[in-house]
Order: sequence, then C-alpha cells, then structure tokens
Amino acid sequence: MKIDIEKLKEIVGENNVSDDIADLYVYGSDASVHHALPTAVVRPKTIEEVQKIMRYANANKIPVVPRGAGSGTSGHTVPIDGGIILDMKQMNRILDIRPEDMLVKVEPGVVDDDLNRALKPLGLFYPPAPASSRIATIGGEIAANASGVRSVKYGATRDYVYGMKVVLANGDLVNLGSNTRVHSSGYQLERLIVGSEGTLGVVVEATMGIRPLPKYRCLAVANFDKLQGAGNAISDIISSGCEPSMLELMDKIGIIAVNKAMDLGLKEVGAIILFEADGNVKEAVDFEIEKMKKICKKHNGKDIKKSYDLAERTKLFSGRKKLFASLSQYKEGIICTDLADDMGVPNSKIAETAEKIHEIAKKNNVIMAVYGHCGSGVIHTKIMLDPKKKSQWKDAEHVIEELYDYIDSVGGVTSAEHGIGLSKAPAWKKARPDMIPVMRKVKQALDPNNILNPHKIMDAPDDWVKATNLRYKVG
Amino acid sequence: MGMLGKLFYFKSNGNFKRSKKWEQELNKCIRCGYCYELCPLFKSNNWESDTPRGKLLLIYGMITGEIKPTQEIVEKIFQCFYCKNCSDNCSAGVPITDILTDARADLIEAGFEVEGTIVKIDEDLCSVCGICVPLCKYEALSIDEKDEDNKKIVVDKVECRGCGLCVAACPAGAITQKEGCEVTLPELHEKVKEFIKEDGKKLVVFACNWSMFPGMQLSESPTLVKTPYGIIVSMCSGRVAPELVLNAFDEGAWGVMVAGCPPEECDHDGNYKTRRRLVLLKNVLKELNIDPKRIRLEWFSTGESAKLERTIDDFVKELEKMGPIKKMNVSKVIGG
Ligand SMILES: Cc1cc2nc3c(=O)[nH]c(=O)nc-3n(C[C@H](O)[C@H](O)[C@H](O)COP(=O)(O)OP(=O)(O)OC[C@H]3O[C@@H](n4cnc5c(N)ncnc54)[C@H](O)[C@@H]3O)c2cc1C
Ligand code: SF4
Ligand code: SF4
Repeated sequence: MKIDIEKLKEIVGENNVSDDIADLYVYGSDASVHHALPTAVVRPKTIEEVQKIMRYANANKIPVVPRGAGSGTSGHTVPIDGGIILDMKQMNRILDIRPEDMLVKVEPGVVDDDLNRALKPLGLFYPPAPASSRIATIGGEIAANASGVRSVKYGATRDYVYGMKVVLANGDLVNLGSNTRVHSSGYQLERLIVGSEGTLGVVVEATMGIRPLPKYRCLAVANFDKLQGAGNAISDIISSGCEPSMLELMDKIGIIAVNKAMDLGLKEVGAIILFEADGNVKEAVDFEIEKMKKICKKHNGKDIKKSYDLAERTKLFSGRKKLFASLSQYKEGIICTDLADDMGVPNSKIAETAEKIHEIAKKNNVIMAVYGHCGSGVIHTKIMLDPKKKSQWKDAEHVIEELYDYIDSVGGVTSAEHGIGLSKAPAWKKARPDMIPVMRKVKQALDPNNILNPHKIMDAPDDWVKATNLRYKVG
Repeated sequence: MGMLGKLFYFKSNGNFKRSKKWEQELNKCIRCGYCYELCPLFKSNNWESDTPRGKLLLIYGMITGEIKPTQEIVEKIFQCFYCKNCSDNCSAGVPITDILTDARADLIEAGFEVEGTIVKIDEDLCSVCGICVPLCKYEALSIDEKDEDNKKIVVDKVECRGCGLCVAACPAGAITQKEGCEVTLPELHEKVKEFIKEDGKKLVVFACNWSMFPGMQLSESPTLVKTPYGIIVSMCSGRVAPELVLNAFDEGAWGVMVAGCPPEECDHDGNYKTRRRLVLLKNVLKELNIDPKRIRLEWFSTGESAKLERTIDDFVKELEKMGPIKKMNVSKVIGG
C-alpha cells in the first residue's frame, strides 16, 4: 500500500509519523492473539490534524485504525488490511471538570486512572473502571463500551456518555449528544459510537458523566469449597435485590495462579467471591454487606472477612486486579491466551456456565480459569495452552465453538465488555446473523469507502485462527 | 560491519543465542501493559515501541526471525534505565530486564553500534583521572591501558544501566548521554524552566525513579488541578548535579527538594554522594544569601507515596511563608 509519509508529516509534524519497522511491528498487535503490520503510525495532537488525516486517507482509500492503549483483547486494533494506525494517546488533556454539572470533557487519549486521579481530590469519580483502567483510554473504553468491577451498580461506559465530538471517515467533524444526563433530541448517535470499535468514526472529545465518591466502601471476601456454591451465591445476591457495588468471582485456577504470581497465601478453595457495598450512610453499607454475607453462608460460603480500610481493601482485591497476567504462571509450559474471554449470561446461569467452562476445557485438553464481574453477568475465562503446539490451536478452536454454542443456548451474549474485533467475530456472526445486514448499512452510510478499521466485527474473516498471523510462533 | 558481513555473521554465529532461551517467558506476556505505565522512557517518548512490552515484542520478533534487527530497533532495546518498575509489576512473571540484557549482549556481539541510554565518553575532554570507574556499581567503566600512551575509559555497553551517576561526577564533563530520553542536563534544565516559567510552580522536586515513580504518578496526571510543585524524575538522586539545583533557583524556584531512596536501599550507592553534594550546596546558597532551608533532601522507600505527598505539602507551606528569593545571578557562581 502506498502512503505519502511526507504528506502525513506535513499534517502532524516530523516526529509524529513513523514507518520504521520498529514501530510497525509493535503497533501491529494489541492484547489479543493476532498480529498484522500497519503501513504507518501517526500521532495526532489536535482535532484538525485528525480531520486532515481522515480527508487524506478517505481520498486515497487508505485504512485507518484508531488506537488507544492497545489493551483490546480481540484484535480490535490489529490492522488486518495495513494502513494507518492512529495513535490517540497524545490527545490526553482533561479539558474541563465541571462538578456543578457533574460532567467532564476529555480528549480521547486520557487514561481512565488519570481521570480518576484528577477527580478524587474533588470527591468525584468516573465509575466504569475496567480492570485495565491503569492504561485503557477513554476513547478506547467508549469504542468498546468497557465496563468493570463497579458496573454491577454503576453501569457501563455507555451510561456515562453524554456527548462527543467525532471525526467521520470523510474528515467531517460532528458534535453528538448533549451536556445532560438524558436527551431526546434526534437519534442517539453518541450511543451508536459506543461499542463501534473504531469502525464508524474517531472520537476526538468526550463529555462524560461523573458521580460523587461514596463516603464508605466495605469489601468482603468469602471462600467456597465448590465453584457451584459461589456461582449460586452470586445469582442469589442479585435476584434478592441486594445492591453490591462490586461482585466478583475467582475460581481455584485463578486463586492458584495469583498465589504463585504474587505470593498472596489465599486458601486454595473451589472459588472465592469478593463483594463490596458503598454509600454515604455506614449503617446502610453494613446492612447491604450483612445481607450478602447471609446469602453467602446459605450457599456454604466460609471464612468471610470484611474491611472498610483502603489499604486492606486494596490487598484483598490485588489478586483479582492482576489475575489475567498471573494466569500465565499457573503451570509451567502453558501460557494464558486472550480467547473466549468475556461472555455475558443471564443472572440465573452463572453457576451452570462456570461449570460448563471447566467441562469444555477438560474435554479439549486446555485449562480455563473462570472469574469476572459476575454480578453484572460477565464471565471471564482465558484459554491456557502451549502456544507452540499446532494441535493446541485446534483445541482452542473446538473450545470456542462449543462454548459459544452453549452461551447462545442459554440466551447469553458473545462479548459482555471487551468487544468482538477479530477473534470473537465468527461466534458472534453465528449468534446474530440478523444484525449483520443492518450494521453493514450503518457502516456504509458513515464510511462508504470502508476505511475505518475495516474487516472487523461483522466484516471480520470467518476463521479467527487464520484471520491474521498469530502473535505466537507455532511449531 | 557492512550489511553482507552482518548477514554472514548472523549465520555463522547462530542468531540471538542468549535471547532465544527466553522464548517461553516471552510467550507468557499477555500484553496487559501494566509494565509501561511506570516506565520513565515511555513517559518521555510516548511511542508504543518505547514500552517494555513493545521492546519484548521486538525481541520476540528477532528471535523468531520475523524481523531483522535494524539500527532503530537496536536503539530501542538499549534505551532502559533498569529501574525494574516493569518487571516488578508484571504478574505474568516475565523477567523483562534480564531478557533485555541478553538481547543487548547478542546485538553487541552482532556488531551493532548504539547510543541508547548508555553513557558516552568524550575522549578529548576525558583526562582518564578514573574517578568514574569505582563509582559505577555495575562495573561498566574501566580503564583501557593497552596503549600506554593512549589510555582511555571504556564503557561496557551491556552493563551500563544509564543511571548517569558518572555523568554528574565527572569533573571534566566528559561523560554524556544521548538527548531525547529526558536525562541530559540541558533537557532537565529545560524542564525546570518550563515548570517555573510556564506553569508557575514554586517547588521543584527531583525524585529518584526507583523509589518515587509509583508515588509520583499521583501528581503526574494531566489534570486541571494546578499544583504549586513539579516533579522531575531523575534516574538516581545521585544524578542531580549541583548546577541543576542552582539553575532551578536562578529560574525563580522558591525551593528545591531532592527525593531519593534511603541510603541503605539505593541501587547505585548514589544517595551517599547526593548527601555530600547537598551539604556543599547549602554552603554555596549561604554565600548567595539564600536560606539553606530552601533545599531539602528527603528519603522515601518504595510505596511511600502518602509520605511523599505530606512532605511536599509541608515544604510548600514553609516556602510560602518564606516567599520568593530576591533576584540572584547563579551563572556567575557556577562559571556561566
Ligand atoms: C489486563 C486487561 C484487563 C482488562 N479488563 C477489562 C475490564 O475489566 N473491562 C473491560 O471492559 N475491558 C477490559 N479489558 C479490555 C480493554 O482494556 C478495554 O476494551 C478498553 O476499553 C480498551 O481501551 P484501549 O485504550 O486500550 O483501546 P484500544 O485497545 O487501543 O482500542 C479498542 C477499540 O477502540 C477503538 N478506539 C480507540 N480509541 C478510539 C477513538 N479515539 N475513537 C474511535 N475508536 C477508538 C479501537 O479502534 C479499537 O477498536 C482488559 C484488557 C486487559 C489487557
Ligand atoms: S506487565 Fe508483563 S504481561 Fe503485562 S505487558 Fe508487561 S511484560 Fe507483558
Ligand atoms: S527497567 Fe525501567 S526503564 Fe527499563 S523498561 Fe523497565 S520500566 Fe522502563
């Protein structure tokens, strides 16, 4: 593909364009199993620069892939057709904090934790909090509709998007949404951009709702001998009307992995659940915690510990926070791959799904941990395998097929929070064929030349293993 | 070595023999990126290829033969301060800096010339006094005495950690580092100036990367909340040269704090030198009619971010009582 590097340098400056292999190779991957080389990496700093880049790319039909921190897990930013990687991390200013309106205006490259660091002294916070909040950018979170540990009470990114400025494929700038929590003024196009995975437009500014920090947070942990008991406790907590501000599951595989990685000394039981309540009235927080404790006990939950203290809470949560990477330490010779990672299932199906995952893993010679923000119906797994063995990738394919068929059969959803990208596309396409033509029409209307993150979601290849090179050397 | 020679060299020597043993460890990386939020090099350059996970990918690409080493790739691999903020935060257990060291050795063996973050000796300025040699805890500096009439200091490019202790200590100013990684004196001067002139900061804090960086994150976010202080990360408190401190006062700082690890915890034995240097500096300040209380040396262990915040707040309050310094001309004192 021919790209006029000099032209791009004219737009963003000499130091913000690279076509050196050192950059192309690195920007060719995210946190998924995929890898493909872009033709150039460009780092815009202003809205006008993004517009100029898009005008140039559109006129020359060059693919453009917007990229935040590259923490996407399904190949969202892997440039399957080459082209330009638009590294948005330079646009990282918090433009306005308006406590009086309970909103912030940010550039898309602001890192989630940085935003929360700025809000904390004002007694405010931005709630979606994916586990990757240390590096994930607000632009990436919008484009993936990220959610996280507090979504069970506070909702996902979509619930905080008030408005945004978006540069379209042809370089036009549009102002979507409002400065208010609700609006009924035309199509909710800002919501359309949420979860669009960089395929419909480049978010260049976002207006996001914020919330007051609760005065009290109490985190508790309960051990369960059986994974099923933990799963049932979670479903029961939700259906009995408790209001947890966090409700997380971690199975034995996860516990062993974090113990190995961080020497946490957790009891290696069947599963643990972490539950939190927050609020401004301590008695109310206590009430919620006690109610959840009771339900845990009903399902044979034991060794229940709770704490209001920040340091103690951070310690209790540390294993969960770093679980994903720790899984690579579970067993010598196998590593953690980001596949089949975030299904959503109806609340009553948590325990059944958790057990099903272990069953499918065993049948197919891989190991799968079960964990996640189960209070909001998100079940995380990872497929742990020996990436050098070709047969293990076949095993992974079988797992994925079986697992997603099961998820579909219980009325679940392919991805609850990470998005579809490349690796989840075949399963999602199989589950939602009705959505594909409608989504293609929307895409065609907004990006007729198909230059924005092409061949993803509904247009991704049908075989995820062959969609790109794998980032591991097989054989 | 010419290109042909290089190719032949790779063939005959088996490429990347040291790095190859890390393939399994490299596969463990899930690319979560937890290693890069604390990497000072990523903070200053901001390209994905400056992140530890990016460098690991480059090494992986080279050992699996997907990419060939180029000068640009080699430069990236040699840009690291070995602060280990990355490996300490990697729960996948990837021994990032060990992998980097082996890759460096392989690349040097393959004949690459690099600058990276490693130090360079200007032979015209160097008098081969040898002061730097025992200073370096990693034994990266030695005197080459092969030619009796032409002794010189040589740098072991694999061992040099880029801490810059020797740069600050060389009386002839013969040791330098490449611009671009925010470690050279002119770059640090520039940053001090920006803090004071553009952001109106009163207190400049030189914080050592090892103990301070995680805590420092508290105040490094691109917030709207203006702080009266600015933090500059140096690779070691021993790296803070006296002229840097005087320069801060000259630019209009009300106070300077040097924050390092407690003496017994310093990776480089740099903070002993800092202590000695600051005692001398205080005397210089007295001569300039500046209250020596305007300089503080404080120790913090890893994770003591609350203490850091408290200490900075206290110092800012004290400085506000003292007010600004009456105009001085430091350049005269430090020789222009
Ligand atoms: C260790 C780990 C834990 C994680 N935990 C969670 C979790 O708890 N919850 C969760 O929801 N996710 C989680 N994720 C997934 C990931 O972090 C999220 O999807 C996150 O929102 C991605 O943000 P990013 O800045 O890295 O975006 P990227 O990965 O760079 O991009 C993601 C998508 O957004 C698009 N995009 C990026 N910026 C823009 C922009 N400005 N305009 C338009 N499109 C854009 C890209 O094209 C891409 O399609 C986790 C990932 C990892 C590695
Ligand atoms: S912290 Fe470890 S697993 Fe995560 S990206 Fe860095 S090296 Fe990889
Ligand atoms: S050791 Fe420090 S400087 Fe080197 S890659 Fe790791 S975090 Fe960056």
